[in-house]
Amino acid sequence: MNTQNQNGHMLLFSSNEWYKELSHDEIQKVISQAKAWFDRLNAQGKIKGGQALARKGAIVSGKNGRLVSDGPFAESKEAIGGYLLLDVETLEEAIAIARTNPALAYGTSIEIRPVTDECPLDTWARESALQEQLANA
Amino acid sequence: MLLFRGTELRKSLSPEEMQRVSEKWMAWFRRLTEQGKAVAGNPLEREGKIVSGKDRIVSDGPFAESKEAIGGYFLLDVATMDEALAIARECPGLPYGIRVEVRPVAGECPMASEARAEAQLATA
Repeated sequence: MNTQNQNGHMLLFSSNEWYKELSHDEIQKVISQAKAWFDRLNAQGKIKGGQALARKGAIVSGKNGRLVSDGPFAESKEAIGGYLLLDVETLEEAIAIARTNPALAYGTSIEIRPVTDECPLDTWARESALQEQLANA
Repeated sequence: MLLFRGTELRKSLSPEEMQRVSEKWMAWFRRLTEQGKAVAGNPLEREGKIVSGKDRIVSDGPFAESKEAIGGYFLLDVATMDEALAIARECPGLPYGIRVEVRPVAGECPMASEARAEAQLATA
């Protein structure tokens, strides 16, 4: 898979609060490594946007959003701690960048997703319609 | 930030229904953008990769159709969590099982605030 994607790629960082286990000096070391990583990518013009997310929030679900629950849980390994929107056109380049992230060594995992313009629902609708046509042919 | 979770709508909706939900969703995003409340937003393609571990292993993921998979995001410019929640409640995907995760954007990396808090403790 080496398709060009003008919209870039999104990196989603997930981890538990691993940095709470580190000594102050170790945290400082990782912070400067992470900062150097970010600064280098930024200087190369590879970053379109990105933000850390607070380790709290809410989840809205149900018809008309009736249900509001706390979440995600801070201690969960699945919780997303931040994102980075990369201005790179291929999944390969996005993967190569993700693999150089210093927090991987501490249990962070990084999900890499191509960003798209088309709503996935439209893609599905098109695919389903095509499948129906094929089935009826 | 709003993260839209759940990519199983395909199982329960006809193509026409999907298109209708999609149109509502786009109209919702356009309105929020015009009101200056949404500053960015995009769907994500279903397929991607996950990099993890000291060995930086690359695996397939997330699973294409799951309750947890993130299908897209909006970045909102609103000052309060209440306002973000009110907007999240308008999501046209909610009746079809989509869940909206509402997360305040952190002014600084949580790692840095932790380091500062520890330094303060150490000097206290």
